[in-house]
Order: sequence, then C-alpha cells, then structure tokens
Amino acid sequence: MSDRRKNWLLPTLAASILLAGTLAGCSGGGSEPKSEAAQPAEPKTENVYKDKYDPEVTITTVWGVDPTLQFKNGETIENNVATKWAKEKFGINIKSLWSITDTNGAFATKLRLAMSSGQEMPDIVTLGTENQQLAQDLIDSGMFAEVGTWFDQYASDNWKSAMSLDSNVWNQYSRDGKRMGIPVLDFAYNHDYVLWIRQDWLDKLGMGAPKTMDELEKVMDAFKNQNPSGLAPDKVTPLSIGFKTSMNTWMGDPSWIFGAYGTLPQQWNVAEDGSLEYGSVNASMKQGLSKLNEWMNKGYIPKEAALWDENKTAEPAVAGTAGIIPGPYWMSGWPLLDTVKNAPEAVWKPVQIPTGPDGTAMRHGTQYTNGVTLIHKDMEHPEAFFTYQNYLFDNFAVSKEGGEFANGLFEGYDFELDANGEMVPNDEIQGGYVNVVRYLLVRDGARIPDEQMKALLKLAKGGKPESRLEKDVAVNYGKDTPAAAEVLLSQEEISKKDMFTGPVTATMKSKWDYLTKIENQTLNEIIYGKQPVESFDQFVETWKAGGGEQITKEVNDWYQSVK
Amino acid sequence: MKRIKKTWPFHVMLLPALICLFLFSYLPMGGIIMAFQDYKPWEGVGGSAWVGLDNFRYLFERQDSMQVIWNTLVIAVMKIVFNLLIPFVFAILLNEIRKTALQRSIQTMVYLPHFLSWVILGGILIEMLAVDGFVNRILAAVGLDPVFFLGDNNWFRFTVIVSDVWKEFGYNTIVFLAALAGVSPTLYEAAEMDGANRLKQTLHITIPSMIPITIVVGTLALGNILNAGFDQIFNLYNPLVYEKGDIIDTFVYRTAILNGEMGFGTAIGLFKSVISMALILVSYRLAYKWAGYRIF
Repeated sequence: MSDRRKNWLLPTLAASILLAGTLAGCSGGGSEPKSEAAQPAEPKTENVYKDKYDPEVTITTVWGVDPTLQFKNGETIENNVATKWAKEKFGINIKSLWSITDTNGAFATKLRLAMSSGQEMPDIVTLGTENQQLAQDLIDSGMFAEVGTWFDQYASDNWKSAMSLDSNVWNQYSRDGKRMGIPVLDFAYNHDYVLWIRQDWLDKLGMGAPKTMDELEKVMDAFKNQNPSGLAPDKVTPLSIGFKTSMNTWMGDPSWIFGAYGTLPQQWNVAEDGSLEYGSVNASMKQGLSKLNEWMNKGYIPKEAALWDENKTAEPAVAGTAGIIPGPYWMSGWPLLDTVKNAPEAVWKPVQIPTGPDGTAMRHGTQYTNGVTLIHKDMEHPEAFFTYQNYLFDNFAVSKEGGEFANGLFEGYDFELDANGEMVPNDEIQGGYVNVVRYLLVRDGARIPDEQMKALLKLAKGGKPESRLEKDVAVNYGKDTPAAAEVLLSQEEISKKDMFTGPVTATMKSKWDYLTKIENQTLNEIIYGKQPVESFDQFVETWKAGGGEQITKEVNDWYQSVK
Repeated sequence: MKRIKKTWPFHVMLLPALICLFLFSYLPMGGIIMAFQDYKPWEGVGGSAWVGLDNFRYLFERQDSMQVIWNTLVIAVMKIVFNLLIPFVFAILLNEIRKTALQRSIQTMVYLPHFLSWVILGGILIEMLAVDGFVNRILAAVGLDPVFFLGDNNWFRFTVIVSDVWKEFGYNTIVFLAALAGVSPTLYEAAEMDGANRLKQTLHITIPSMIPITIVVGTLALGNILNAGFDQIFNLYNPLVYEKGDIIDTFVYRTAILNGEMGFGTAIGLFKSVISMALILVSYRLAYKWAGYRIF
C-alpha cells in the first residue's frame, strides 16, 4: 500500500514542478483593472488642482531611456533626484511601469506590444516625433483622454502663452476639434541647419565662405585636392553627409542641395498653386540628384553615404578629415568641440546655406513641437500632471534670478557652482555631468519655443548672461553658438516646415511603405550612378500610380480642413 | 489496460510538455484570424472589422512582393546548403587532427562567433567591410579594386551568406563531430587490414556513416526555408540593396511593427507558413524516396 502511494507521488510531483517552472514566466503580465472603488466621488465644487498633494497622488509612466543617458549615485530612471524632487515638492509619486533602453525603436515596439497584449497602460506617456505613428494609434485607441479642456482649466499662463506661439501645434493631435494630446514644445529652429565649415582651411587657401553652389564646388575641390592640412585626397571628406535614415534629417543632411534647385525631399511642401505636394516627386529633384551623383564620382561626399546615419557623419568632422558638415546651430558644443583633440588647428565656423543658380535656397524647418504627451482616461488625478508641468514652465523654462532653477535643474547633476558662486563647465562637474532633464516626465522638461533664440541673440550682441537659459548657452553650448544663431536667422525665410502633420491617411496605411521603399531605392541608386537621372521620371510615374496620387489627394483634404 | 497501469507515470510526466505545447504553439494560432481583419489592438480580435482577403490582396498588389519572396528563398537556401556543406567538410578535417588539445581548441575558437549577437557583429562588419576598411585594404594590397560589399547589389547576398556561415559553421560542426565519434573503430581497423589508406577510409567509411545525420540535420533545417535571418539583414541592409536584400521578415517588420498594421503582418506570416509547410512536405517526401530516410 505505502509502496504504491510512493509510486503515485513521485511522477506527479515531478510533473507539477516542471509545469510550474515553465509557466512561471507567464505570470504578472495580465492587466490589473484599476480599482474603481478607491475613487471617491469628489465634490465638483472644490478645486482639485493643488500645489502640493496630501495624501500623495501617484502618476504611472513608462520610459524609453536614451542609451547615452548617464546615471550617478546609484540612481535609476525609476528612482532618482527628479522623482524624489516630485515627491517632496508636490507629493507626486512617479511610478514606473517599465523602462527600456531605447535603441532601434525598442521603446515604441515595447509600448506597441504592451498595448496589443492588454497590459496596464501608463497614466502619462510622452512620445517623440519619431514615434508619430504610434502616438496617432494610441490616440485612436480611445484609451487616452481629451486633454484640451484640462489644459484650458489647469495650465499656467506661461505655458498657455508658449503654446499659443504657433496655433498649428495642436493640429496633428486633434480629432474632430477635440485636442487629444498635449504637444511637447521645443525650441524654434532647433534642427534647422547651417553649414559648418573649416575656416582654417578656407583661410590657408585664401578662399571666402561659399555663397553659391558653384563656389561651394570650388571650395570642396580645393579641400580635397590641395588640402591645407596636407591630407591625401582620398583621406578627405569635403562634405560629410549621409542618408541611411532619410534625405531630410538634422545632421549631415543633404536636403538643402535639393533646396537650391527648388524642392525639399521627403516632406510635404506648399506648391505654387497653394496645395501640398510631396517634395521627392518634384521635377527639380533631378538637378539635385545629378549634382549629388557628380559629387559622389568626384569624391566630394562619402562613398558610403547610403550607409551613414547622422552620428556617423560627425565622425570624419570630429576626426579632422571633413571640410563641411551641415548641422544645427548648436553643433559647435557637440560634437564639433572634440575636433581639437584630433586636429588642434581646426576652426569650425557657421556659414549660410548656399544658393542655387537662380538664387534659391531652402532647408527644412523645425516644428515648434517635438512630440506629444498623452493622459490616460482613467487617470485619477490628471490635475497633478499640470501641477508638475506648470511649475517647470513657471520656474524652469523662464528662470527668475535667484529662483529655484536659476542655474540649472539639480545641483551636482547638470550644473555646479564653484566657491565664488560661478558656474563650472559641464565636464568639470564632480562625478560627471548628467543630462538630468531627461529624468523629467516630459522630455526636455519645459521649453518655450522662442526663448533660446532670444537668449542667443542677446549674447551675440554682447549681452551678459543672466537667466538660466542664457547662462546655460553661454557656458555649455560652444563659443560659436550665438554666431551660428545669427547666421541661421539671417536666412530665416528659407526654412520650410513639413506641412503635413495630420494622422496617417487611409491609403498611406497600405501603400506608404512601398512608396518610401522605391523612393529611397531610386534616389540612392541615382546618386550612386546605378540608374541614370532619367529614371527619376519613371519613378514619379510609378509613385503616382502606386498610390501616391491618392495620398496627395488625402493629404490635401486634410490640409484644407485645418487651413 | 494493463500496459497503461504500468506506463501511466510516463504519461503524467509528459503532460507538462503537452500543456506548454498547447499554450505556446496551438493557442496562439487563434491569432490567425487577424490576417482577415483590419486588426486594432484596442478593439481586440472580437471587435476588429472583417476585411476578407484584403490583406492578402495588398501583399500581391505590391510590385515588389515577388522580389522579396525570391530574395528570401535564395538567401535562405544558400544558407542552408552552405551551413551543411562547410561544417560537414570541416568536421572530417578536424577529426583527422591527432592532437586532442589542438582539436579541442580549434573547435572552441570556431564555435565562439555563434554567441555574438548580430547587433554587435553588424557594427563590426560595417566597419570591416567599409570601402577603406580592413578587408578592402587587403584587396588593395593584392592589387584588386575595392568592393562596396554592403552597398552593391552584386555583393550583398554573398556578404550576407558568407558572414552567416562564418558565424554558424562552428556550431553546426559539433553535430557532425558527435556522429564521427560514434563510428565504430573496428571498421577502420578492418579497412587498414585490407590495405586502405586514409583517403579511402574517409571516402568509404567516414562519409557514408555521416549521411544519415546529414539528412536529419538537412530536413530539420528545411523548416527555415523562408527564414533568411531577420536580425542579420536588418542590421546590414540599406536602400541601395533593397533589390537583392529586402526579405519577408524586414518587410513585415516595417509594415506590421513600425506602421502598426498587425493584420497585414499576420497575413504575410500566414502566407509564409503555408509556403514553408508545402516546401517541407515536398522535400521530406523526396528525402524519403531517394535516401530512404525519415525522421517523423
């Protein structure tokens, strides 16, 4: 009897252990419905918005952590100086549902999978413009609340006036007039670029800054074939550009080359008749393409430009082997600051975008927004988010003299004062500089679009840095930044924004990937000389017939609806 | 009945595996429904709108779909063939090394790349294969023109296949070495008595005794006939080589994951499974017919 029992026990035990082991991985993923009983019916008359919450309230969120973001003092994205600050200052408990290192779009993928598998969604989530499609899907999912009313009710005056600088910022996040997401404001002109050029090379060659495409070609030829630093022609990259990600980007960007002939690729431009047209199919692309093909053959641009992303284009620039790199006005701080380590004689100067044969110049313009913040419709205390953001807009975006953020966000992280109360440069901060604004709920904390340019122009005119922003750009942005800002604004009218900021249209859903694919393929192959320039016309035909015509119509319908 | 009384503990122990198989392999098949829907995650499988065969129509309306399928087939078949052939030869050669220590260390060395992720290896390859990179400098030293390995349609597949074989052949060799260890030494002794030299021994003993395991490995690998290796291609490709390098998986990634078209992605996945299944069945029948060998 006892023998038999033993026989029965052992295999069952073994089996159940095996099963438990294999299934352990499945637990914990399910969505826990928020306890609705815990939500007391608040009397609507009392103002729920408070400067400090007692008892504490909780905001859940998720993080895509920039791989270059640093942590010190054993902190993590879940628990750090910024979350402690929120807890002490406002009684807001920031709870992280999950976080992930955001390489190759990992954050968007994880968030998308979380949505598909019905996991708990965060109260607050901020998505950058690179995740535009996901943001639109999340809005359509109905899981996130209409935020316009809350914004009108709770946002501070500073925030509201910043938001009203450009009334178009709400467009892309609106549905039938309802504002479904709060646009994340960014500095104006932040990614509009200028050309950075090796002034020391120009000086040694006795040449001036190139004003037209023809002059630019002469300069590139001289950089390559009579290199002032004595580099062999095949070691020089006269113009460092790359188009792995796009022909229309922020650093190492080639779009101005097309701009000189009258169009900007890979964005929607206003055509002569006032409608929107896709830049890449404009007939004037051909001139830009044959120019790039010619430059490729002459070795003016990198042979592997098709494989280079933005950061890669900075490599030859920093190595001291590149002569020109297009990029934002702030580039003298990063990455060009490091050039002197490799080429001590190097002097980078910002110059204007050169003009084409008929005096045209264009570059892509930056939207005032670089993302969106969504608020979950089941969030218990949406007003707490406004408490947090209002404070940043009132005290961080415009810093008062002697205010909490007069020098930066958190001492010992993004700024440090020496014994005399002067700011020390970032690389001398004890234990290293940390870009601590990235720890905040909304990326970059709070930015008022025109503040940065105001600060820079003041410095360029010889003004003394007073506010936090002015001190920040004076100390950390590289000495040429104010000058670059002036160069940038001297060509203010050539910046053209992508005019289509609406949700993905019906035809885009099924056709856009294919159209983008043949577009990238054709443009790259023409530049590499694998197809003649004439094949561009064929591409335009295919593009239009393959859904492009229909998409253009849908985009224009949207444009009419918001114009 | 009596048999069951005796063997039931084994059945109980089999149960966990069966439950897992059901949970992770059969239950998710319900998701195939998505291929026929305009699937929206927040509406779920129950709530999404039915679109019939629209998702499949999109697939065939795309002018590049045949090209993508063909690319996948070519790259996958070449990988399967070379990942059988190279380890097969290498295992025989390695087996001839008499010094065990040397044999073991070579085995470990060629085995190591298997553990590198394509994300890392992709970065290394892009540097090494650059126009002014390591490989091209060697080519230049022997007087050859530089090759744009990752940006030239004539070279891209070659680069992909060679780098994959380089990464995996050490791992695949292990199976063959195990088979070689199982060959009875008496066969070799008898052959030696009959005056066979080493080449004859290899031809008439070693190779024939490796045929069965080769067929097993080959038939199992057929399951990958439409898997050309997403992580490798994704880390190496660019618009210049779409023509020869874009495969079904990168295509699904761009549409289903990046653009959120889950229904379309599922449709392609289902299509891929059906084709794979057909190809496997055919090859399996052929293997049975000509080699007289079956594994299931």
